[in-house]
Amino acid sequence: MKVKTLVGNAIIAALYIVISMLIQPLSFKVIQFRIPEMFNHLVVFNKKYIFGIVLGVILTNLFFSPMAAYDLVFGVAQSIFSLTVTILSGRFIKGIWARMAVNTVVFTITMFLIAIELHLALHAPFLLTWLTTAVGEFVVMAVGAPVMYVLNKRIDFKKLI
Amino acid sequence: MFNIIIGQYVPGQSIIHRLDPRVKLISIFIFVIIVFLANNWITYGLVVLFSIIGILLSKVPFRFIYRGLRAIIIIIIFTFILNVLFTKQGDLLISIGWIHIYKGGLIGGLFISIRLLAIIVITTLLTLTTTPIDITDGIEILLGPLKKIKLPIHEFALMMSISLRFIPTLLEETEKIMKAQSARGSDFASGSVKQRIKAIIPLLVPLFVSAFKRAEELAMAMEARGYRGDEGRTRLRVLKWTGKDTALIIIMLMLTVALVVLRT
Repeated sequence: MKVKTLVGNAIIAALYIVISMLIQPLSFKVIQFRIPEMFNHLVVFNKKYIFGIVLGVILTNLFFSPMAAYDLVFGVAQSIFSLTVTILSGRFIKGIWARMAVNTVVFTITMFLIAIELHLALHAPFLLTWLTTAVGEFVVMAVGAPVMYVLNKRIDFKKLI
Repeated sequence: MFNIIIGQYVPGQSIIHRLDPRVKLISIFIFVIIVFLANNWITYGLVVLFSIIGILLSKVPFRFIYRGLRAIIIIIIFTFILNVLFTKQGDLLISIGWIHIYKGGLIGGLFISIRLLAIIVITTLLTLTTTPIDITDGIEILLGPLKKIKLPIHEFALMMSISLRFIPTLLEETEKIMKAQSARGSDFASGSVKQRIKAIIPLLVPLFVSAFKRAEELAMAMEARGYRGDEGRTRLRVLKWTGKDTALIIIMLMLTVALVVLRT
C-alpha cells in the first residue's frame, strides 16, 4: 500500500468520526440519520476509499457506541459487504450517478443486517426495524449523493489518495 | 463538546488497567459469546457477578460507566417493556384491559436487559481502562496471523493510530470552520434534514482540503524518514504478557465451563 493511500484513508476515517461526533443529535432518534454514511459514496470515485470508510465505522462503533460488541460485528460486516458489492458492480455500471444510485440501494437493502443485530440484541421486531433503519440510511445516502458529487467537483476524490 | 477524550480512557493503575490489551480483547470476545449461554437465574447471576467484580477491580468511578450506559438505558427499558408485553409464556400475572403480563415475559425481558447491560459494561470497561493506542497495538498483534493470507493488518493498525491521532486536530479544525461559516451566516444547528445537510457542504469543502493537506504533509514526512512498511519495523512500546494475564484467561475459561454446566 502506498504511504499516500494509507495516510489518506486514515484521514477519511478521522473525518467520518469527526462528522458523526459533531452532527450527533440527528443520529439518535427512532429513525437514525447517520450523516457520515454519505462517505460511503467515496468508493464510487476510487475503490481504495473502502479502507478509510470501514475504519471509520470500526472506530466509531468501538469508541462511541454503547453497544460496541454488536455494532462492531454487524455494522462492519454491513459496510464491507455493501462496499464490495458496489465496487464489483462498478465494473459493469459506468457513470458516477448510476454507481451512486446502486450504492444507495445496496446500503438500504443490507440494513437488514442491522435489523438482525437489533433483533438479536434487543428482540426488536425485525421487519419494522429494517424499515426504520433502511429509511434513515436511504435518506442520508440519497441526499448525500449530490453532496458528494458537488464535493468531487471541487476536490478531485479520484486523485486524492 | 470538544473536550471529549477519544475512547474515554480514564487513567489509572488498577489491575484491569495493567492487563495486557491483547488479553482484554480476547476476554471480551469470549465474554460477548458466552453471555448467550446464560439462560437461568444462576447463570445470569454469574454474569452479573463477573461484571460487578470487573467494575470494582478497575477502580473506575461509577459515573464514567454510567455515562456509557446513559445513552442506551432508554433502549434497554424499551426492550424490556416490549418483551414483557409481547411474550406469552408461563403464568398470567396481571391482566388490565388489553395488557396481559405473563411470568415468562417478565423474566425474559429481565434476562435480555441483564445480558445487554453486562455486555455494555464489560466493553465500556475496555475503553475506560485501555488507551486507544494500546487497543490498536493489541488488535494488530492478535490479527497478525491474517498477514499470511495477504491482509494488510499492519497498514490497517497504522491507519487506526494515525486516525485516532488526527481526530482531536480535525475536531478543532471543524470547530474553526464552523465558526467562520457561522460568521458568514451559515446555520448548522436548526432547520429540516435537507437544510442541515445543505449547510454541511460549505463545511465539508474546506475541511477536506485542509485535512488532505495534512495527510500529504504526513505522507511526505513518513517517506522522508524512510517508512517502508511492516518488514523489520521495531516497536516503541512492547506488550508484556504476565501472570495476571494468564490468570484472566483461566478465569474466562472457568466462567465458560461454569455457564455450560449450570445452564438449563
